[in-house]
Amino acid sequence: MNAEVETGRPAATRTYRRPMSAGWWTTKRHYFWYMVREFTALPLALWLLWLLYEIQRAGRGASGYYPPSSTPFVVFSAICLLFALYHSFTFLSLAGVILHFKVLDKPVPSRLIVLSQFGGWLVASVVIGAVLIGFGR
Amino acid sequence: MAEKRITIRATRYDPEKDKAPRLQSYDIPFTDDAMVVLDALNYIKAHVDGSLSYRWSCRMGICGSCGMTVNGTPKLTCAAFLRDYWPRSVTVMPLSNFPIVRDLVVDMEDFMHKLKSIKPWIIRKQELPLGAGEHRQTMDQIDEFRQFSQCINCMLCYAACPVYGLDDKFLGPAAIALARRYNLDSRDQGVKERLPMIADPEGIWECSFVGECSVVCPKGVDPAKAIQQTKLDTTMRFVLPYGNRE
Repeated sequence: MNAEVETGRPAATRTYRRPMSAGWWTTKRHYFWYMVREFTALPLALWLLWLLYEIQRAGRGASGYYPPSSTPFVVFSAICLLFALYHSFTFLSLAGVILHFKVLDKPVPSRLIVLSQFGGWLVASVVIGAVLIGFGR
Repeated sequence: MAEKRITIRATRYDPEKDKAPRLQSYDIPFTDDAMVVLDALNYIKAHVDGSLSYRWSCRMGICGSCGMTVNGTPKLTCAAFLRDYWPRSVTVMPLSNFPIVRDLVVDMEDFMHKLKSIKPWIIRKQELPLGAGEHRQTMDQIDEFRQFSQCINCMLCYAACPVYGLDDKFLGPAAIALARRYNLDSRDQGVKERLPMIADPEGIWECSFVGECSVVCPKGVDPAKAIQQTKLDTTMRFVLPYGNRE
């Protein structure tokens, strides 16, 4: 949006619209972490696209499965993991704000919803980890 | 002992003379720890420069008139204590994201239009005669919407919202929070009348959950929560069988 003086009106009622700078998100910590939260979706999407390609290739049989092990890819994956953890953390924390339901006619406290989300996340991680380790043997 | 003083830098803009707003400094006495930014502006207007323009009314955080940007944060100036800034200077600017009319006064027309568009009053399919008595509510029913009814239309949430700053077609935090306040009211039957405004792409779906609206709200309203919960509710209305049943 550009700074502009709205013309075509008498001077006494003319207004000035201030521009919003491209760096607005650097002016407050809250805005910055919001942008980080939103940005984490991008590398995650790229990594998941790669995973889909890997799965498609593995569909050809054992010969088709050769995951990349180059240092840049490992570093990229590690960064994606950090972003995934941060994204999951913010998503599950915000679930307490969004979800609202009642049990026995009483509203369920937000904190309980958030704790149950993190509990579910932990259980799912343990189960998936166990399955992967179990199949890997 | 030397008198304690504080520097107030206030935006000045005269549409008849200025091409753009500028900051003007005023060095004023800081005589009382209970002084708020609004007191400083009133001192300037009374003793230093009577041409300074700004809105205010109740001086007790109820009317919502004196919202301005204080050192970069939208605040009610009647609740922003100078002691929290001193010895630093205090920069007072008009609320962000709104056109400036003069000095610290912004054009509220867009907000007033949006506020009216969500019909912030109780809608009944059929009005009952007065003789039928009042619409009674339990405390639990009041608790459903009480938080959202605390909004004083001070517009701080709009000034803090970058989504509104980037696209002023966005319905905005306070209007959606008030729509939710009435939609949750057990006496109200107007959800379907408000839905076209709320569920519009420039309504709830424009919000990307920055959350700063809830941080700056001086009355503890959580507009971000109202918006996200409304997203969930409207989705459920669409997805669930009989979701649109009244």
